[in-house]
Amino acid sequence: MNEGPRDLHDDRVATLLREATEKMSPRGYPARLVERALVTSTDRFVVVGSPLGKLYVGAGPRGVRLVRRGGSAEEFAREYRRRFGRLLAQSDDARTCKLAEEVARAFAGEKAQVPLDLSETTPFQRRVLEVVGSIPRGEVRPYLWVAREAGSAGASRAVGTVMANNPVPLLVPCHRVVRNDGTTGGYAFGAEQKVRLLELEGVPTKEIARTPYLATPTTGIVCHATCRNARRIRPENRQHFRTAADAVEAGYRPCEVCRPVTIRDAG
Amino acid sequence: MGMETEPETARAAAVPDSLAGRLADGDPKAPKALVERHHAEIYRYALAMLRDPTAAEDAVQSSFERAFGALGRYPEERLRNLALRAWLYRITLNVVRNLIRDGRREVAVAEIPEGPSARSRTTSSPEDHSEVWLDAVAALGRLSERQRVAVALRYLADLPYAEIAEVTGWPENTAKTLVRRGVGRLRALMLVNDDREDA
Repeated sequence: MNEGPRDLHDDRVATLLREATEKMSPRGYPARLVERALVTSTDRFVVVGSPLGKLYVGAGPRGVRLVRRGGSAEEFAREYRRRFGRLLAQSDDARTCKLAEEVARAFAGEKAQVPLDLSETTPFQRRVLEVVGSIPRGEVRPYLWVAREAGSAGASRAVGTVMANNPVPLLVPCHRVVRNDGTTGGYAFGAEQKVRLLELEGVPTKEIARTPYLATPTTGIVCHATCRNARRIRPENRQHFRTAADAVEAGYRPCEVCRPVTIRDAG
Repeated sequence: MGMETEPETARAAAVPDSLAGRLADGDPKAPKALVERHHAEIYRYALAMLRDPTAAEDAVQSSFERAFGALGRYPEERLRNLALRAWLYRITLNVVRNLIRDGRREVAVAEIPEGPSARSRTTSSPEDHSEVWLDAVAALGRLSERQRVAVALRYLADLPYAEIAEVTGWPENTAKTLVRRGVGRLRALMLVNDDREDA
């Protein structure tokens, strides 16, 4: 049946070796070893539901590296391989299931432990993404604030570019970064989705557009309109401002919690 | 088990592998399919060469680690045209050779007479002349490394000579000669063993 020398087919030694092949086949443990070979040398692929529908999530050993919406699983895995040089594999081992659960919780806005691996980003991108990660649910911040907090005051446009290329949307909530005038602006998944997400998180998007700063004479402090301190201001005391600089000129001092940028942005 | 996959084996060298296509396309189920399809035979080869189940498991693990690492980095077209089985064996051969060259495994080879009984716990059924095939594997351990590789690839991995040549880089005729001499030596070694049993 094979192309080996004829005399070997009847050879007892060859027969014994074939028999040995049968006996040495691992029977009891393949499932465990298959998982082991897979989990240590490929990256994890999961599909998770979110307010934006189902999202593809790719994670390496150190954390989530890519989140995408739409297209096929294959397209997602190809993009992942091109970006990170790693194969994505579906698996149902305990670690992968745990990851899917935590990511689902994070997408739903609940407390969750989702490690991120942003090692393929530049130091500036990473600083920006870290700052954005600190914006609480239900609040928004303008680009100029993110730039200043990331140590690059005035780099609003560069921040916009980082947001547009955010590898892990929702997990780094770039939808909470709005234009400097308080309007919601663009979003990788569509501007209308950004509004929907923010409303879902309790942000009054219409109210803050054009006047993203709030001050009150009772304390003499100016805040971002969604800052938890600003939300406590009584309606009759609310003073609306287009910029924090305007409020400072009117005699207010910036909130120490949300730290509004009081210098006029050049960018 | 090895016999069942034989028809596929014969084709593997010539025809592009559909699993290679799935890997190139990004099918997230393809990596697991690759492990499931080749894990057992890679293990058998490693066990025959190293004759230590733990070392063989480690060799399988390292082989797949290297394989997946490379598969992540190869350009899409290279992935698509990869003859996966022969390519995997090439990686395993290197992994196993390095383990042997590390010297740790060579010690075991020198202690063959005790080998079979020590390993017999790897088989669950001790009946049906199980010692005889264990003798064959133990004797395999006494061949030169080249002969051992050739015989294991031919009779344990069931590779045709063309693929053995591709995997090892030897000319096909060299592979044939090594297998013939290896099997001849095995026969001689096992006859010696038989004589001892009779005595």
